[in-house]
Amino acid sequence: MTTPTATLTDRYVYAAARDLPEAQRTEFARELRERIADEVDARLAAGDGTTPADAEEAVLRELGDPSALAAAYVDRPLQLIGPRYFLTWKRLLTLLYAIVLPVTAGAVLLAQLLSGAEPGEVAAEVIGTVLALIVHLAFWVTLVFAILERTPGTQAVERWTPAQLPDVRDEGRAGRLGDLIASLVFLALFAVLILWQQVSPPFFDRSDTAIPVLDPGLWSFWLPYFLVLIVLEMLFAIAIYLQGWNWPLAIANLVLNVAFTVPALWLLATGQLFNPEFLDAVGWPWGEAAGVTTTVLVIVFIGIAVWDVIDGFVKTVRGRGGSALTLGRI
Amino acid sequence: MSTDDTTAGHLQELRRGTVVLGCLVRLCEPDYGYALLESLNGLGITVDANTLYPLLRRLEKQGLLTSEWNTDEARPRKFYRTSPAGEQLAGILTADWKNIDRALTRLTSGDAR
Repeated sequence: MTTPTATLTDRYVYAAARDLPEAQRTEFARELRERIADEVDARLAAGDGTTPADAEEAVLRELGDPSALAAAYVDRPLQLIGPRYFLTWKRLLTLLYAIVLPVTAGAVLLAQLLSGAEPGEVAAEVIGTVLALIVHLAFWVTLVFAILERTPGTQAVERWTPAQLPDVRDEGRAGRLGDLIASLVFLALFAVLILWQQVSPPFFDRSDTAIPVLDPGLWSFWLPYFLVLIVLEMLFAIAIYLQGWNWPLAIANLVLNVAFTVPALWLLATGQLFNPEFLDAVGWPWGEAAGVTTTVLVIVFIGIAVWDVIDGFVKTVRGRGGSALTLGRI
Repeated sequence: MSTDDTTAGHLQELRRGTVVLGCLVRLCEPDYGYALLESLNGLGITVDANTLYPLLRRLEKQGLLTSEWNTDEARPRKFYRTSPAGEQLAGILTADWKNIDRALTRLTSGDAR
């Protein structure tokens, strides 16, 4: 836009005015010219020997970036989202992320698994979708708020009330979250193992027929029984997370452990647990070690169950404000 | 932030409202931007050109000042004048200013303590 006749002032006024709404431009340009001319005159009148051109340049330099100057004249925000909307923007975005991201990730994961995709493919699809969603949500939410910020006459959309105060964080529950996740993952793995050893076992006999690890005859009652117990254990883990340890739950823990361990040990001891063909395939019994192995397995089973039950009672007592030491005095 | 910056910041905060009052009182006689700037600074109400010019526009938008272009001279100038609403506001602000001054005086002399 530089024409030979355009002075620095012309160019400055043009640069500042083009940022304004059309209706305000003429008046603003006139005012700005008056201001620049007055300030140039003042510099020349100060009489320290500057030429008019030097004075003009010095004045414009002092005025600074024309866009910033124009913004100051018309009260236009120089930030994307100002203090009026920032908190609402942040809360909304956090809420959207907390809801939309897990739901979408879960849905994509499920869809991929159902369509029988490879594990790598599934992971790539889930991560890709989540990343794209993070960018999209942030962009569109921010765009709407940036437009609101620039729309005259809009009020802050959210008026804060004491009802919005967050609950004081239940530290106990937060601490139990790790336990909950560990329990659920372990129980799910356990259930998957029971199903997997039947559906696609990794052991084969001499004619290359797959052989289940556990006795297939157990499907008539005992394996479904254990699967139901696993589901009950999951519900129990959730109850512990929600309520913390208490006496009814500690006793439920005892019952569940007994219900699991006693039949399992009985099946093991009476030789009904493992599939005879599987034992053949892996060469059981392993000579003289057979008796020792069974004994060790039994002790480990009982040990885990007893430790788990005691742990439940200890945590119950501690939760009541006592320490583990008071356990002996109950 | 150095002590000087802190002091300058607080001084600016303290003076912010006084510029508005100064303009409203001074512009009972119509005048243009640069002359107003010179006279306010000459009176000791320090104000920066980058503050004053946008402020004049804002006060006009709020109906506290009226304006008129004077084209009698070679250079057209926008003359501002305090409106009746501006004069009313100036009265309220002046009264408040005096209240604050009295309160501070009592504080300093120890009467209120």
